[in-house]
Amino acid sequence: MTAVRTYFSDVFMGLWTALVGMSITLRYLFSKPVTEMYPDVKPRTPTRYRGIHVFEEEKCIGCYVCAKACPVDCIEIGVVRKGKEIKITKFDIDYQKCMFCDLCCEPCPAHCIHMGPEFEKASFTRKGTILQFATPKTLTEEEKKVEKVARK
Amino acid sequence: MSELAAVLPGVLEKAGWSVPGGLVPVLAMFICASIVAAAMGLSAAVLVWAERKLAGHFQCRLGPVYVGGKFGWLQSIADGIKLLLKEDIIPADADRPLFRLAPYLVVLGVFLAFIAFPVSEKLMVADLNIGIFFILAVLTLEVFGVILAGWASNNKWALLGAMRAAAQMVSYEIPMGLAILPVVVEAQSLSLKSIVAAQSGGMLRWYVFQPPFFMGVSFLIFFLAGLASLKRAPFDLPEAESELTAGFHTEYSGMRFSFFFMAEYAGMILVSGLAAALYLGGWHGILPGQSGAMWFLLKTAFLVFVMIWLRWTLPRLRIDQVVYVGWKVLTPFVLACVLGQALMAYK
Amino acid sequence: MVAVEKDVRTDELVINMGPQHPSTHGVLRVVLKTDGEMCLDAQPDIGYLHRCAEKIAENLPYGQFVPYTDRMDYVSGMGCNMGYCMAVEQVAGIQVPERGEWLRVIVTELNRIASHLLAFGTYGLDTGAITPFLYGFRERELVLDLLEMLCGARLTYSYIRIGGVDGDVPPEFMDKLKEFLDIFPKKIREYNKLLTYNHIFMKRTVGVGVLPADVAIAYGVTGPCLRGSGVRQDVRRDEPYSVYPKLEFDVPVGTDEHGPIGDAWNRYYIRIRELEESAKILRQCVKMISPGPVLAEKVGRVKPPAGAEAYTRSENARGELGFYIVSDGTMTPARVKVRAPSFSNISVLPAIVRGQMLADVVAIIGSLDIVLGEIDR
Ligand code: SF4
Ligand code: SF4
Repeated sequence: MTAVRTYFSDVFMGLWTALVGMSITLRYLFSKPVTEMYPDVKPRTPTRYRGIHVFEEEKCIGCYVCAKACPVDCIEIGVVRKGKEIKITKFDIDYQKCMFCDLCCEPCPAHCIHMGPEFEKASFTRKGTILQFATPKTLTEEEKKVEKVARK
Repeated sequence: MSELAAVLPGVLEKAGWSVPGGLVPVLAMFICASIVAAAMGLSAAVLVWAERKLAGHFQCRLGPVYVGGKFGWLQSIADGIKLLLKEDIIPADADRPLFRLAPYLVVLGVFLAFIAFPVSEKLMVADLNIGIFFILAVLTLEVFGVILAGWASNNKWALLGAMRAAAQMVSYEIPMGLAILPVVVEAQSLSLKSIVAAQSGGMLRWYVFQPPFFMGVSFLIFFLAGLASLKRAPFDLPEAESELTAGFHTEYSGMRFSFFFMAEYAGMILVSGLAAALYLGGWHGILPGQSGAMWFLLKTAFLVFVMIWLRWTLPRLRIDQVVYVGWKVLTPFVLACVLGQALMAYK
Repeated sequence: MVAVEKDVRTDELVINMGPQHPSTHGVLRVVLKTDGEMCLDAQPDIGYLHRCAEKIAENLPYGQFVPYTDRMDYVSGMGCNMGYCMAVEQVAGIQVPERGEWLRVIVTELNRIASHLLAFGTYGLDTGAITPFLYGFRERELVLDLLEMLCGARLTYSYIRIGGVDGDVPPEFMDKLKEFLDIFPKKIREYNKLLTYNHIFMKRTVGVGVLPADVAIAYGVTGPCLRGSGVRQDVRRDEPYSVYPKLEFDVPVGTDEHGPIGDAWNRYYIRIRELEESAKILRQCVKMISPGPVLAEKVGRVKPPAGAEAYTRSENARGELGFYIVSDGTMTPARVKVRAPSFSNISVLPAIVRGQMLADVVAIIGSLDIVLGEIDR
């Protein structure tokens, strides 16, 4: 007898729970979709968003602390020092390696590197993923001699 | 078709073409075939779009939005073009002739079935006196294609999918065929035209709503068995993507793949249309006196909607459960319906 | 499952499931031996995602390894962050300020919710229901938004740092969190209606892949999988760390209400219950948290004494996550060993799939809820 009862209750429950599920999906059919229209409408990233770095060249003192803090060694810095004057000749971040961990920004003594809101930096070439933050400068021969380029 | 053959000579004469009398039926045949093929392709395209759009909204998404304006109307056209342009890959170890044949067989089955598709009193390629029987018979052709596809691909997943398809077809042909019997007993005919004609006179005369609901239950069974024979969720085991990657059409690409796709969607229309004709009064309207192709298409569209709705709600059964449902649930229930209806007719 | 008697001997079919397969949850390869639809044996083959995380740890200063832990169990990165930081704090003897601990618990529980929602969704996918996946993701999105607001990343958080956390919460965070906690129970009820108690779903999972408690313990299975087998084990309760002693929560275990204890359905349902428990913990945290510093002072460069070693256990979304660290007195650890819960959990697969159907294998792998990043490390 129990076998008969389970048989019929199975048939009934099968149909009933299907209907319950269908009522839920039907309700969402008429509700507002949650889709973000991403390429058309750019999402607003929160203030703490960890995207492509923002670098303030004029503040940087070329101390390499950020490059040292980076776990994957993807920051390359070139500096020319002439007495008190500091020229940042190179500040490249390789975004093939960078994992947006924020570890480089914290120890910076001059607070000149931050994580920015930008995230669209896909590129078709490997070279294109290395971003150069320092403004390009032409160096004199003498400056070229004292330029120090370091990764870590 | 016979009407077309009758008016065709007149039309041709007006156009100034002379065609030998013997060729007229052949010409009519070609015209009908191309109309059916075009309708089938077009409706499949519309359905693919509808399914994607509905699936999106069922899931709080939007579905296609870009191609052809705000609602992505032309999405399936774009997909079709993409599929056409794609490279047609045949695996190195596949059985080439069979591999190529399989998709055509699948489409052929559905295509042939459309011949007896009763859109309205006039809009029907051929009113066969054994209409339903014919449709069920040619629909089984599809499974040959599926099994062939699975076998010829020489892929283990495809083979498993094909075997599942075979088991499923065998189990569901029977309840599907039996579910039609109560209707046939009631209408005393196998011709779809006369079955629909017997349901004229408003909603209450439709066979689903005839007390004591033997036909109502068999409608449900027909619909479920139809889902299973179409390999639609929750019976989509032959192509269960989470288990068999893509089941029997794992190795297909490009146009050949789209044939399977088209057959599935055309099949959805076919089964829905058949259910509408058999149980829901075909081209008859809700009120007595209303009739027309519009009604038939509306009912078909509704049933197709239910199919899509089910697919985006339910999980998938397991193969032993599918066979169980076919043999131990649907078959006994439908047998009871047939018996009941026969006893009613006997009185 | 009864053994089927046959008079015809047929060949076994060896099927290669994965590493590219829709439902192996990553790059897991399973070598299946099947007889028709029956599965006779399944051997998981791992290592496709091996990235030498433990070796990398030996070559990096302690603090710089935190981002790598995100990438182990990438679905619940906060839990990994926390496990690692706890171990380092123990070797180096660092005290985490009170508020830091509270925030750690808040983020790990939020992350547990996100992780279990993913498990719920993908389990629906494994059994063929596509819509629950999207619904699960819809709510997961809210959680990820919260975490993003807090630490700026959605998946690889690195929010928990040695000595505390990286920055206090933004002002609007707590309100948003409360808002989420208000709507969440309703959504859980909906999941239950849509999937948990769906009859087809229950038929697919109840009684499938039964994992008896003793086998589970023998294989070192932990987390929801072990609790699904009826063992009330949870590091948060048994060996409380952080502020868990102050919190009240249940540890749900499998029941035999619908079928045998330890089946796939039970394992799945434990996760749904844990969603509720995590929400409960979060509600208490929101009430009990008090202002204060979040990061220990003068952590600077961690340089533990030579020979110091520590093993810490923490309850990650998938089970017990252990970190073992040995220091040699330099800036980098001498050895870091990770006890990854998924690794032990997947090892039990061959023991429970024998004699099940092919479709059940998928259902069982799904119910173990593995993350390959963590298995291979
Ligand atoms: S974000 Fe991390 S990985 Fe990227 S440059 Fe900074 S420290 Fe290196
Ligand atoms: S740590 Fe700051 S100041 Fe030093 S090199 Fe990097 S960006 Fe410049």
